[in-house]
Amino acid sequence: MSQPDLSDLIARTALGDRKSFSALYAGTSAKLFGVCLRILKDRAQAEDAVQEVYVRIWRRAGSFRVGQASAMAWLVTIARNQAIDMIRARQPATLEYDDAPDVADPDPDPEARAALSGEARRIEACLGELETDKAAAVVDAYVEGLSYQELAEKNSVPLNTMRTWLRRSLLKLRECLNR
Amino acid sequence: MSPGPHIPDDDALAGEYVLGVLPLDARRAVEKRIAIDTEFASLVASWQTDLAHLDDAYQPEAPPQGVKARIDARLFAEAAKPAGGLWSSLAFWRGLAFAAIAVAAIGIFQTSLQGPADPVAAPSLVAELGAPGSSVGLVAALDPASGVFSITPAAFSPEDGKSLELWLVPGEGAPVSLGLVPGDGGQLVLTPDLTGRLSAGALLAISLEPVGGSPTGAPTGPVVLSGELGQK
Repeated sequence: MSQPDLSDLIARTALGDRKSFSALYAGTSAKLFGVCLRILKDRAQAEDAVQEVYVRIWRRAGSFRVGQASAMAWLVTIARNQAIDMIRARQPATLEYDDAPDVADPDPDPEARAALSGEARRIEACLGELETDKAAAVVDAYVEGLSYQELAEKNSVPLNTMRTWLRRSLLKLRECLNR
Repeated sequence: MSPGPHIPDDDALAGEYVLGVLPLDARRAVEKRIAIDTEFASLVASWQTDLAHLDDAYQPEAPPQGVKARIDARLFAEAAKPAGGLWSSLAFWRGLAFAAIAVAAIGIFQTSLQGPADPVAAPSLVAELGAPGSSVGLVAALDPASGVFSITPAAFSPEDGKSLELWLVPGEGAPVSLGLVPGDGGQLVLTPDLTGRLSAGALLAISLEPVGGSPTGAPTGPVVLSGELGQK
């Protein structure tokens, strides 16, 4: 389903059109269920999550603005937030890390600035400027919904180190994306 | 406020939020900030746009049959609820912050709710209290013989400086307070008079009130959870 079609269905959903909502579900539920399944790694929970997701979509459709985000990206954001909230609710609500570790870091390698591909793939090009394990941590966090604790265990580093790494990686990414 | 030195911190925080790595309380705090700080909200939006290119990693998989029917039942059966009184304030239900509510899944407690109750006593009445748009909730089970309401999960607690008050919402007339939800979960003992007013089909609601409960005798805070009593 094309992005304009999806935007149109979201707009009609915002007006309370149940047929459009059903068409939106038919066109997007596989993707959003895939998101919930990947993050929650449990079918029953993913089913609960995807129900919540569409309840939210129905209620929040009016807040979607064409042009601000692609329709599918907006929908995936709702699904990711729901799934991540559900797994975080099972984990400690706070972590014992220091507040906002110092993120100052040397200037990025100027030679790495050279290779940027097309606009749509900027994030991949910028991830390519990070060390492999640092880039993998960013992708794991985003795609799998890993917590700081899980990332630290996976990378065999202390929690604080993990947080410093990731925050530095984010700032490098931002610097690259803004170039 | 000196915005200069905070900008990298904010950008990293916005990125952390969009990645999803933060614990629940930090996520809620960031969401509050997004709602009031447009500059910060635009940092979050930038990360969402940039990182959305990673969404290709999510493989589509059709959800099981029946999910859509359950969504429709939740969304479109709501209109059938009784109108008026507390229920007219459904707006309260939207966008509620469950920030400080530690949650556990509904349902897993049901088997252990009966406790040591006499097996020949009247059957327990159970309400699953939840809210639209939220998967969180708690279970309240009443033993009509003793007037004891058992409320689980015990970890359920309101934000500091608030109490949770349980209400019976009659079909007509004002909500009746059944008492405060104990801070440690646990049990709430009702008078025989109140117990007598509770039967299958009774609507229960929990509102967020100042410490010690509603000062007016009627709900003053938002209704955070509600549900109907049913035969167990």
